[in-house]
Amino acid sequence: MSMPEKVNRPPLLEIRDLSLSFHQHRQLAVDRVSLNIAAGRTLGLVGASGAGKSSVARAILRLVEPDLGEILFKGENIYRMNPQDLKTTRQRIQLVFQDPSVSLSPRRTVEQTLLEPLQHFAIGDADHQLKKARQILQTVGLDQGALQRYPHQFSSGQQQRIAIARALVTNPDLLIADEAVSSLDVSIQAQILQLIQKLQKDFGISILFISHDLAVIRQIADDVAVMYQGQVLEQCPADQFFSEPAHPYSRYLLSFAQGKTPINRSGDKWYLERGRRSASNTSNCVFAGFCQEKMGLCDKLEPAMHDIQLKKQHALGPHCVKCHLYDEVKVNDH
Amino acid sequence: MNPAALKVNNLSVWFETGAGRLSVVDQISFSINAGDATGLVGESGCGKTMTSMAILGLLPASGVNVSSDGIEINGRDISTLNPAQRRAVLGRDIAMVFQQPATALDPVFTMGQQISAVYRRHTGDSKQQVRKKMLDALERVGFSQAEDIAASYPHELSGGMRQLAMIAMATVCKPAVIIADEPTTALDNSTRALILEQLKRLQKQNQTAILFVSHDLSVVRQLCRDVMVMYCGRLLEVTDCQSLFANARHPYSAGLLSCIPQISDKRPAPVKSIPGQIPTPADLPSGCHFAPRCSRVEAHCRTTVPELDYANGRGVACFRPL
Repeated sequence: MSMPEKVNRPPLLEIRDLSLSFHQHRQLAVDRVSLNIAAGRTLGLVGASGAGKSSVARAILRLVEPDLGEILFKGENIYRMNPQDLKTTRQRIQLVFQDPSVSLSPRRTVEQTLLEPLQHFAIGDADHQLKKARQILQTVGLDQGALQRYPHQFSSGQQQRIAIARALVTNPDLLIADEAVSSLDVSIQAQILQLIQKLQKDFGISILFISHDLAVIRQIADDVAVMYQGQVLEQCPADQFFSEPAHPYSRYLLSFAQGKTPINRSGDKWYLERGRRSASNTSNCVFAGFCQEKMGLCDKLEPAMHDIQLKKQHALGPHCVKCHLYDEVKVNDH
Repeated sequence: MNPAALKVNNLSVWFETGAGRLSVVDQISFSINAGDATGLVGESGCGKTMTSMAILGLLPASGVNVSSDGIEINGRDISTLNPAQRRAVLGRDIAMVFQQPATALDPVFTMGQQISAVYRRHTGDSKQQVRKKMLDALERVGFSQAEDIAASYPHELSGGMRQLAMIAMATVCKPAVIIADEPTTALDNSTRALILEQLKRLQKQNQTAILFVSHDLSVVRQLCRDVMVMYCGRLLEVTDCQSLFANARHPYSAGLLSCIPQISDKRPAPVKSIPGQIPTPADLPSGCHFAPRCSRVEAHCRTTVPELDYANGRGVACFRPL
C-alpha cells in the first residue's frame, strides 16, 4: 500500500507503512502511514488532537521505535542505522516544538542554548561555533545582545525565534515544526510564519509542518496530508486540497476551519467522546462511524489508498485518497 | 430601559514599584447588555486578563491597585463589596471560564462534585435537587452522557470536554454575566467550533451577557456582535464586529486583521505582521502607545494621548484613523 508517486528525483524523506503503538500494542497511534517529503518543499500534516501527528514526528527522529515500516532519509533507513550514522542524520533533521517556554532550558543563556547542538555534533572549533551562533541569531531577527540573556527575558515570539535558531544552527535538511505557531498570538504567529517562509526560501530546507489549524497550513504548505486516528486519509498538493478536498473527513475539517456550521448534528461530539482504536480492529474505514457519505461497504472493508488524479490532465501531483467513494477511479484495485 | 448586564466605569489597574507607577489597565469603560456578547481583543500582555480579574475582584489585595467609578451587574455595584459579599456574587451573578481548564479544575474532585459545590454554595437546595441541577448544567453544554461526565475526574476528560465541563460549572447558577478568558485558545478547530456553539446557545437561552477575551479576531467574530480592541491597557477601537472586519479604522485593528491567515483556493499572499512588539508597562511610550509601531504616525501622536472618540456608535482612539 505504498504511495503512488511521480517519477522524478527521490524524496528527501520517505515514510513507508509506518505503524506505531503504545501500551503493549493496545493503542495504535500510527497506522500504516506512508508519506513523502520532497527536497525544498513543505508538507503540512493536519489532524485533530490525538490523530498521531506528533508520533510521526517522533518516529522520524527515531525517538520511538515503530512496530512496522521504515523511514528512509536520503534513501537510507533510519531504523537500520548504526549509532554513528544516526547521530549524523539527526544533525540533518531538527525539531521545533509548540511551546518555547517549555522547550528552552531556563538555566541556559541563549548563547549556551545555541552552542550546544554545535558542540554535540562537533561542528567547527569554538570560534567558528560562536560565529555561527551570532549569525543564526541575526537570521531569525534577534540582536547580538540576546546571547547573554535567559529565555524568561524574552517574549513568547522571541523565544520561538530562539527555538528556531537552535534548530537551524546545524544547517539541517529537514525541519520538523510540531505545532510551532499554535500557542502564539495571531500577530506573533504571523511574524513566525513569515520567518519560516523566509528561511525556507533562503536555505532551501524541507519542512514537515504539523498543525491542527488549516488556515496556517494554507499559508505555508506546498503539500497537505490529513491524519485521522493514526491513518493518513488524504495526501495531495495544497492547491488541490483547498479547492477540491476529496475525503469526507477533509471536507469536514475544512468546513470547520472556515467557521461554517457543522454538517452533522448528531456527530457533533464524536471527536470529544471518541474511543481509542485498538490495534486489532482494522477491518473497516476509520472514519465510517461519523461519515456523512457512508456506504454499506465502509463498515466491512478498509478502503485502499488511491491516486484519484491518475486520469486527470495537468495534475499538480498525485492526489491520494483512502475512501471507497473513489473506488471506481482505479479499477480492480481490490 | 433596563440597566446593562455588565457596566464598567473607568477601570484602572496599576502596580506601584520603585520605578514608579506601572499602568496595566488605563481608565477603560464599557457595558454589555443582557444576551449580548462582546469581544475584548489584543496581544498577550495588553491587559485583557487583568481587566477580567479586576472586574471579578480576583486580584490580590496587596501589591496591585485597582480603581474604578463602579462595576455594575444589572445596576448593582460590585466594586465596593467586602470579600464575604463578593463570594455570594461570584458564581451566581457573574462567573468566569478560564483559559486552562487543566489547571483551573481541581484534580482530586469529580466534575460532578465541583459543579455541585458551586450550586450548593448559592442555594439551599436538597441533595437531590443539587444533583439534578448539576446534571442539567452538563446536559445544557451538550453532553449526552451527563452521568458519566459527572463521575469523571478532570484528567479522564479530553481538553475540549474539560472546557465544556468548566462552562457547565460557570453556568450552573445561570449568572447574568460570563467572562470567558481565551476559552478556546488551546483547542483545535473542530473542538473550538463546538465550544463556541455551546456558548452561543447558552447566551440565547439564559440571556447571558458574555465578555469574550481573546487574541484571535476570527474567533471573536464567530461569537460576538461587538468588539473592543485593547492595546497596552487602553481601548483603541470599540465597534461591532461587522464594521471592524469591513473597515477597521484604527491602524492597530487593521494590523491585527491582516495577521489572520485565510483559507482560499489559491495560495494566499504571505500574512502581514505588525512590526515590532508590544512594549512592557515599564517603558510605555508617551502619547499614543501604538505610535512606535504605527505606519501612519505623525509627530503629534508621540506627544498627545488620543481620546476614545465616539461617532456613529464607533469609538476610535486615533488622530489619523483609516
